[in-house]
Amino acid sequence: MIEGFRLGVYSRGTTLWDGLDFAFGDATAWFVTGPPSSGKTLLLSILRGERRPDAGDVLVSGESLYRGNAALARAWRASCGYIPEQTVADERLTVGDLFRRSALAGGGGRETERKERTDRLLEMVGLRGTSAWRISELSISERVRACLAAELLRGPKVLFCDGLVAGAGVPSWEMLWGLFRALAREGNTVILAERRIPERWALAAGDPEPVGPFRVYRLPGPAAEPKGEPG
Amino acid sequence: MSERPSLWWIDWRLSPGPLVRETIGRFLLFCLLGFALLTLLLSGGVSRILADRYAITAVLRAEVPSGEGEGLARKAAALPPVRSATYRDPETAWKEFLRSYPGLDPLRGAGENPLPGYIEIRIRHDRLTEEDVEFVVSALRAVSQVDQVLAGEEWLPRLLSAGRLASWACWGIFGAFLAGFFLFARLQERARAVALAGDFAFLAERGVSAGRLAFLRAAGAALSGFLLAALGAAAGGGALFLSLRKFPILERVIGSPADLLLPRTIASAALFSIGVALLCSATSLLGWSAARAGRK
Repeated sequence: MIEGFRLGVYSRGTTLWDGLDFAFGDATAWFVTGPPSSGKTLLLSILRGERRPDAGDVLVSGESLYRGNAALARAWRASCGYIPEQTVADERLTVGDLFRRSALAGGGGRETERKERTDRLLEMVGLRGTSAWRISELSISERVRACLAAELLRGPKVLFCDGLVAGAGVPSWEMLWGLFRALAREGNTVILAERRIPERWALAAGDPEPVGPFRVYRLPGPAAEPKGEPG
Repeated sequence: MSERPSLWWIDWRLSPGPLVRETIGRFLLFCLLGFALLTLLLSGGVSRILADRYAITAVLRAEVPSGEGEGLARKAAALPPVRSATYRDPETAWKEFLRSYPGLDPLRGAGENPLPGYIEIRIRHDRLTEEDVEFVVSALRAVSQVDQVLAGEEWLPRLLSAGRLASWACWGIFGAFLAGFFLFARLQERARAVALAGDFAFLAERGVSAGRLAFLRAAGAALSGFLLAALGAAAGGGALFLSLRKFPILERVIGSPADLLLPRTIASAALFSIGVALLCSATSLLGWSAARAGRK
């Protein structure tokens, strides 16, 4: 369980938001929407233990991320995966490099096993045989999916995705919907931050919980899914 | 996968291509530095040249028989600063004189050899100091059979101080190359830390401590620096050994190839490798902190 208590952020000389409470249960996919410049990326970095909130605290399984042991915060970050909004930072890398780096963060592992998993994950996100491609040669959608696959290589317990659904594009929504459900079924937590939720996902999720400038949707698990595949 | 990632050789795993080129360049530089270091160590700067050219001559009294002269030479050779002591009997002295000054045979007109025997004493290159020369000269002067000791005492101090200056200049040039390596390596490390900053940020976002990353990078740099310097010194030593074998005349300036295997030579090469390891470690930490400061 990831809980945010009375979270507040002061930014650009003003209060961006204050007194927000969040509760993200385990083994569930969560969808947080908010308008541009509402602080979605900031919220994710606070929940990941990267940026201390100006007010309030974040608790993971009852332990404070910011007022507790620094080693605990590091262990928490090590168990998380993060797909940032796409930037030009990794343009010099190849798709294979993303996986190599991700494996490094996860402790290495056997080369053959890594390659095998890399191929499977790339195939899953529709990027089969792209290991040698440079990131600079990929479209935004391809970059997003490559980053997602690279993060999944480590098998993170919690996956934070910033603008992933919008970046991946409509043709990938069905794949993502299935993936998030599968991750949740395996006990992982997924937290997505987006400007808008796809309409059919919103229908499946039901009414969101309004929290400050955000709307928090809980995506249904396989048992609660309505007829048809949203996407 | 384990929870705590291994960060050993992290730069190699993140960016192997440029590091291979960098490592080859450093190895070649360490070969040159190793060659220069061993040359300087064996030659003692210019000490061996000076010691090769400098000799003390102990002129014996005319009545000293050859057997006694040889005995004196053996005793002189046993003095700690002495490398060799050779007795020349009056007849040999006369022949040497005639080789140097041909046409002066008439000086021996009456059949008598006007020259006495003498002992030529050469000092070890590492003991060629005013104190040691004075010690040998005093010991020789105390012997009743010795008539005169010619040690060039009036010009020796100037010669020795010029030799010291030349040796310091040689070591200074070596030190300048080492300092140049340090500065260049620092720039390389900084450039690499900047190039890999995205990867380090990625790892930091996933719970890898920056301090641990910096420490293990520095430890890796120290270890690779030590190995490269040791290999470079060994290769430089090998090249020096072959040069001395191929051109024996160099032995007079540098020394015997066997000296390369002396414990003190090996210990000096090991110290050089440790010094390089410390420099590499320092450049890694400095490059890291400079790159991080640049990002802030």
